[in-house]
Amino acid sequence: MKGIFEELVKATRTLWYEAEQICVFCGDKHGPICPSCRADLLRPELGRCRGCGKLVLTEKTYCSDCVSGRGPKQLDQITAWGHYSGGLKDFIHTVKYNTHPRLISKISRPFSEWAIRQLPAVDGLVAVPMHKARLAERGYNQAEVIASALHWELGLPILRGVERIEQRSSQVLLSRQERLRNLEGTFVVSKPGYLKGRSVWLIDDVTTTGATFEAVAEVLRTSGVEAVYGLCLAAGLEKG
Amino acid sequence: MLFFLTIEDKYILRFRPFEERAIFDSRVVCYLSDPLPLAIIQWAAEQLTRGQARDFCGENLEIIKKRISKVLNEYSSGLDLKWKVPERSSSAEDSMTLGREVGNGNETWYAINQLVRGKQLSVRDLRGLAKDFKLRDREIIDLVHNNVLQGTALWVPSVKRNSKGWQCQRCGEKDVEEWPSFYGLAATCGSCGSIGPSTSLDVLYRDQRLFMNSSAKVLFQPHWRLTEAQNLASEQVAEFIGGTSDKALLWAACGAGKTEVCFPSAAGALEQGKSILFAAPRQDVIYDIAPRFQRDFPDYPVQVLTGNTSNRFQLGNMVLATTHQVLRFWQCFDIIFLDEMDAFPYRGNRALDWGLNHALRPGGKLLYLTATPSTEALTSVRKGEMLLIRLPARHHRKPLPVPIWAKYSGSFEGNVCTSFLIERLELLRRSGPLLIFVPKISWVAPWIKSLKKQFPYWSVEGSYSSDSERGPKLKNLKKGQYDIFVSTTILERGITLPGIQVVVFGADHPVFDERALVQMAGRVGRSAEYSGGEAVFVSKNMTPAIKTAVSWIKEQNKLALELGLIQL
Repeated sequence: MKGIFEELVKATRTLWYEAEQICVFCGDKHGPICPSCRADLLRPELGRCRGCGKLVLTEKTYCSDCVSGRGPKQLDQITAWGHYSGGLKDFIHTVKYNTHPRLISKISRPFSEWAIRQLPAVDGLVAVPMHKARLAERGYNQAEVIASALHWELGLPILRGVERIEQRSSQVLLSRQERLRNLEGTFVVSKPGYLKGRSVWLIDDVTTTGATFEAVAEVLRTSGVEAVYGLCLAAGLEKG
Repeated sequence: MLFFLTIEDKYILRFRPFEERAIFDSRVVCYLSDPLPLAIIQWAAEQLTRGQARDFCGENLEIIKKRISKVLNEYSSGLDLKWKVPERSSSAEDSMTLGREVGNGNETWYAINQLVRGKQLSVRDLRGLAKDFKLRDREIIDLVHNNVLQGTALWVPSVKRNSKGWQCQRCGEKDVEEWPSFYGLAATCGSCGSIGPSTSLDVLYRDQRLFMNSSAKVLFQPHWRLTEAQNLASEQVAEFIGGTSDKALLWAACGAGKTEVCFPSAAGALEQGKSILFAAPRQDVIYDIAPRFQRDFPDYPVQVLTGNTSNRFQLGNMVLATTHQVLRFWQCFDIIFLDEMDAFPYRGNRALDWGLNHALRPGGKLLYLTATPSTEALTSVRKGEMLLIRLPARHHRKPLPVPIWAKYSGSFEGNVCTSFLIERLELLRRSGPLLIFVPKISWVAPWIKSLKKQFPYWSVEGSYSSDSERGPKLKNLKKGQYDIFVSTTILERGITLPGIQVVVFGADHPVFDERALVQMAGRVGRSAEYSGGEAVFVSKNMTPAIKTAVSWIKEQNKLALELGLIQL
């Protein structure tokens, strides 16, 4: 009886008051993203390296790695919503490792609105695929969850057909060159005709060197995809 | 973690964590090539057998396989279901040797198997154990799976769905977060996530063995003598442990020494080979009592587990743990002592309450210890569902200082030291340093400033939960370095400050319920040298909480006087 009463009180409250949203990154009021987290994590004053998505000084178009030819080459552009640190990093970890995929819905609107201002409209969205065994273990692919949120907000269709056929060791401890080598032959396009001539946003959660984006973009290009734009939630920040 | 669904001879359905276990077990007739979450396997088995034994003896294997595939496809249409027959060649070697040495005196296996007794562990916990022993993840899984095969442990889905909906099997929470998974609808528990994720696609390892098989000699060397009041309560605790009731409430006066009251009963129970949990919601309490246990039970292995403990796996029939850590135990304690049942985060947290009750063995004893019992606990006592044990007097045999209510019409929000407040604070300071409680963090800094201005020759400081300087300030406070210390309710419990006088500003604020007020007043007169002192509640209105707090303290003194435990 007490439980029913509590539920009734809750329901009545929602009828009369709009629930106050809290910041998804710090738990403070003024959600979904508070001004402080917007400034500290999304860093709107900084530019994004067109080559790898890293956060760079606004006057720069490319980071020093991409200028010296060490960045990805198969994509037209890569961009990242924010800096992979603090509350944004924790948020991605919670989605990915603590099995809370539904959390993405909390940021789907601000992220989509930001993304459509950064990248040209395309024919569809391609999520960086996960190996079947890992997908079976985790139950979801976080890149697909992000793509699904973008599809929901922007109406862009989700394009399938890319598969991850090999499960390689984690990229975390590898160098830039090792990452690229580690991913060789990892991805395939199962239906090349389906993607030919299209332009896509390639979606992932985080990018560090852009190696994963590059490996997927390579097979997309081979299948005749005309334009590939990498989009992710977070990337590193160029020092100095 | 996923499991391979296997069909054994006589067509019994089972599951195994690795394909190798299906291949090398001669009983396995065939198995599904792709592993599945345990929840789906169990669901399929229930659908096929409708609660009967999982035995299809006499049926056609091909028909059984088809039926299983059909049921699984009903659960999720995207599953790739292919049956495989184990290919066993004499030259093939089992790559997992460690688990196969069971019973052969393998020391690592023996050590691990001792550490997992009575535990309820997630796969992440098991991986942590593998890391401690420098083993591969799959080796540790294989080791504990041997216990499952021997019937001394179980794998259970971490979040399970039944006819009434989802329920987390680790903390009992039913209000879970649903999400669309590779296998259809899945769920993640949001209540116990702080000790690692719990989802419907994952499993818990539940070890059903006792901590220790036999009784052991226990050296109990108390470094104190129980007072008359403690002795009375201690005898009642012993009667409760040996009696038929399963729950009791030890309602003690603040600073009466309720922890030590449990020690003699704990010693007796340990002698009999029983397992004991001493739990508390806050880490501070665990860190405070751990050295006391270790001092009075020298050489006895005591497990000390909090969120900051790096060594999660320890040995010993005695466990001291915060209530969150209790979720890692399953029906393994004969006796649980729960200190501060009314404190955050335990109070009102149904997940922690569920965990505590499920850490208790069937027929075990649960004793709640508190100076400020919850309404629910008092109701249970009134209904006769819970025994009541009283400890109304402090060791120095002096009554508890009864709080005084001072009506104050002025506002505390303006932080103005009016003559009313100045006079009272000056008067109280003559008896000892002042601890001023305020209801909000935002009041702390302005009041420090205002008091510093008013009393320039006094040392004035203050703190609150998120204060980065909290540690050093509390050290100085304990050393008696401040004339006035302003604090939120963070200091309402677990601290003894000799000679301290307590003032509560805005005592009618809703944040101060009767429990908080009793605890704050309970800081006064705790030590034998300074058994007196005053607690003053200053507010515009006399609230029911103030009335109840004062009546509780008066009632403790009355009872103590009647029992001859205090002298006026």
